[in-house]
Amino acid sequence: MKHIIEEESKYVASAKAFRANVTRDLGNEELRSNFRGAMDYLMDKRKGAFSSEDELEVLREQCKLIKQRCLAKLPHLLEQLEGNLEKNGIKVHWAETITEANEIIAQLIAQKKGKSVVKGKSMVSEETALNDYLEERNVECLESDMGEYIVQLAKEHPSHIIMPAIHQNKKQVAKLFADNIDGFEYSTDVDTLIQQGREVLRNKFCQADVGISGVNFAVAETGTLCLVENEGNGRMCTTIPDLHIAITGIEKVIEHLADVPPLLSLLTRSATGQAISTYFNMISSPRKLGEKDGPEEVHLVLLDNGRSQAFADEELKQTLQCIRCGACMNHCPVYTRIGGHAYGTVYPGPIGKMISPHMLGLEATTNLPTASTLCGACGEVCPVKIPIPKILLRLRQESVKPKSQQPQVMKGQGAGRNNVEALIWKVWAQVHKSPTMYALSMWGLTRFRFLMPKKLGGWTSVRTAPKPAATTLHQRINAKQKKTQQSQQERG
Amino acid sequence: MQQLNTQHLRDYPKKPKQVYLFGTCIVDSFFPDTGMDAIELLEREGIEVIYPQGQSCCGQPAYNSGYKDEAKAVAMAQVKQFPLDIPVVVVSGSCGGMMRHHYLDLLGDDPEINNFCQRVFEFTEFLVHVLRLKPIDQGPKERVALHTSCAARREMGVHITGNKLISQLANVELVIHDYESECCGFGGTFAVKHADISAAMVADKSKNLLATDVVRYVSADHGCMMNINGALDYQKQSLRGEHIASYLLNRIKSNSSKGSL
Amino acid sequence: MTNTKADIKAVSNTARGNILAKLKAEVNGADYKKLPEEVSFNYPKFSREENLAQFISELEKNHAQVIKTTKENMAEVISEQLKVLNITKLLYGENDSHREVINALDSKVDLQAYDFSIDNNKEMLFNECPAALSTSRCSIAATGSIVLWPDENEPRSLTLVPPVHLVIVDANELHADFASLMTSQQWQDKLPTNVVLVSGPSKTADIQQTLAYGAHGPKALIVLLINI
Ligand code: SF4
Repeated sequence: MKHIIEEESKYVASAKAFRANVTRDLGNEELRSNFRGAMDYLMDKRKGAFSSEDELEVLREQCKLIKQRCLAKLPHLLEQLEGNLEKNGIKVHWAETITEANEIIAQLIAQKKGKSVVKGKSMVSEETALNDYLEERNVECLESDMGEYIVQLAKEHPSHIIMPAIHQNKKQVAKLFADNIDGFEYSTDVDTLIQQGREVLRNKFCQADVGISGVNFAVAETGTLCLVENEGNGRMCTTIPDLHIAITGIEKVIEHLADVPPLLSLLTRSATGQAISTYFNMISSPRKLGEKDGPEEVHLVLLDNGRSQAFADEELKQTLQCIRCGACMNHCPVYTRIGGHAYGTVYPGPIGKMISPHMLGLEATTNLPTASTLCGACGEVCPVKIPIPKILLRLRQESVKPKSQQPQVMKGQGAGRNNVEALIWKVWAQVHKSPTMYALSMWGLTRFRFLMPKKLGGWTSVRTAPKPAATTLHQRINAKQKKTQQSQQERG
Repeated sequence: MQQLNTQHLRDYPKKPKQVYLFGTCIVDSFFPDTGMDAIELLEREGIEVIYPQGQSCCGQPAYNSGYKDEAKAVAMAQVKQFPLDIPVVVVSGSCGGMMRHHYLDLLGDDPEINNFCQRVFEFTEFLVHVLRLKPIDQGPKERVALHTSCAARREMGVHITGNKLISQLANVELVIHDYESECCGFGGTFAVKHADISAAMVADKSKNLLATDVVRYVSADHGCMMNINGALDYQKQSLRGEHIASYLLNRIKSNSSKGSL
Repeated sequence: MTNTKADIKAVSNTARGNILAKLKAEVNGADYKKLPEEVSFNYPKFSREENLAQFISELEKNHAQVIKTTKENMAEVISEQLKVLNITKLLYGENDSHREVINALDSKVDLQAYDFSIDNNKEMLFNECPAALSTSRCSIAATGSIVLWPDENEPRSLTLVPPVHLVIVDANELHADFASLMTSQQWQDKLPTNVVLVSGPSKTADIQQTLAYGAHGPKALIVLLINI
């Protein structure tokens, strides 16, 4: 038996290039305006989706507690899920790494002699770069979600977890279709564009022998895979081809069927402001005897890829509460400026900053947790109340810790540590914890303020440098007190 | 953590005779006028202000950079400077949030720390909820915008109290700018480590403030103002931000002709 | 290509063992009884009329067409709708509950029963079935959702592939919300192969946040509401 030879995620390199990506994308006016427009739209949608602040807050608390319960019981729920799925006839596979997941899927397809795959939207399959893996093995993989389809034609990856092609405007899509679809009638009318995309993809649904999808909730109690979507391509992928393979992260399991309605309600409203998505698809078995359609085989691949690392730490574990609604990125002022591709990771925005370090290691992602003002807009909207800024702070701590310090919580601990910076903070602490040292340094600062540099790196590229005051507040209050004492003495 | 803004749940004490002032390191070294104005405002309300000379910085810069031990040492040193059981008034929502909420995490939930955190009030929060200040506006008619720092807004609810104070000024019209709740892009070391993103953010913030056509905006945080004013100055715009302590003081002083810009 | 010899069963087994061991090490000895009590929001109770109004308005907001009718008039309504859409052929599932409707339609449109397996009939299903008629199990007022419960007679693709979906909804089977529906019908005990909640025609906003209908599923959803 041969072991799997692990391939490095292609996102390691692109995440490392974060700074360069940012420079590239900040300078792209069209991209910036596409994102600003999209984020304004999505924020607005969400705002209108809740009847009251009260409802929103109770639902958030409820969903947080549901997810925390499910995580508290995670290993047992996974076993229960597996047992019930198998009982229902759905085969379960486990993968620790992205290559394991890809290879399992590749072989499942090969066993059925599958040649052509249609895919519903699945961020986990983006995480494993499944399309690349299968294409190298001569299996054609077609993305069928309109956004994903656009992104695939453009040879890009999604810039948003809910709206993959949000970085493109309709003119850009029209050009893309013109370059790629035979017989395309040029138009920038969105309806016309969608209809032409529909035609191409309908043919593929009809012909494909394999459907691949993600999973929004996997219900342990019943052995049910739930998919949330608007287009119907998810239903197509899971209904028409002979073989359906679903792939998801281990954190997607929930305990009860009754946990679904609140989570679903908060998911769609947080994501796009919809009371519910057009389709909510619950799959509990392959085609049964006598049924006229549906896949003969259904498989579920459960992927770890760093999730169990997050699980092992009480604080970082909260990251796994995520239901992938995208609200944190919609409200993120940094995401709005740099867009989704600059992150270089599968999951952009605040959620990406939290989970990518577990998937790719801190060496590749050390710039992500620092690329935040900690403004808290993400945490404020997160439907499952993940304390996102706090988790980013924690990741910063893990990143600047000495490499050897125990216990080791994360792959790549200490990757962001810089000895000069560490020393500066040490000195800073010495000065600020000692009143005498602090007074001395302030005395120096005010005395030598003319020495304060006019240029302060990036700061002064768009701002003037702040100037220290001639006398500090400490000094002025001291002087004021002396004066009062004096006048009191004189009077006395 | 999202529900840090607990203004609505907080039991506010009666008006005290004495308070501590925590000046913050930025005010201390760059904007001492703000500290002096805050003291004068409190003294006018009959409160004795104690300013412990041993105070320095709340520890946030190190804390936000991931240097927890360093932040801890500095934070602990601050707690020791404020031993009396009287309110600690902080002239920054961001430092206030640090001292009121994050100290518990950083220093552990022990009775001394807890008592300290309970005593921390952001300046406008203190004016509205403890002093129940009703400022009598003596200044000329003017329009003004308000920028609330993100920590102040989300951890301390300062956008509500700041708004309330300004709205009580009879001759002042509060103008809400576009994307009012959006971050200005300061974020401490963020502005240095990711200077280009920060620059894009402050460019938008200053644009949105300029679009209101006010002559000044008010804020309760000098961190943001250092950022926004620095950008406005660089752009050679005359619009400036002023700390709400100075602004209020000027408005209620009868002979307020002194523009403290 | 390097991994083609790997035994995926073994890979999966090892991964299973490792993942579960890691997770179990963290929750070992945990007392589930100590989990905090969960909260839920108390939605106001609505009358039947309010629920109906909500159901219809949500569906219409989502571009579904809602027609109030009766079993007796239904054949007439359907044939009219098809005429408007220029459709002459209707796919339907064999189902006793609307046998009379089908019978009455027989003289009006070209009827095709879904009495075949999809396997050799995909082309026909995709290309020669412009409209389909199905029943529904029940519906949900809060979100304007119709619950489809496919079976041998009404297969999953009946309501998915044809571009126009006509669905019969019984107002007596309207539930206030998804949560109360699931609980009252005890879904956890008996889920079929597939259940779908449908809340409008297929749509997408993937191009510049502009809504377009008929992305992959039906372009039109026509709800035939009876027993109002
Ligand atoms: S972190 Fe929260 S807001 Fe962000 S995608 Fe996950 S659930 Fe949504």
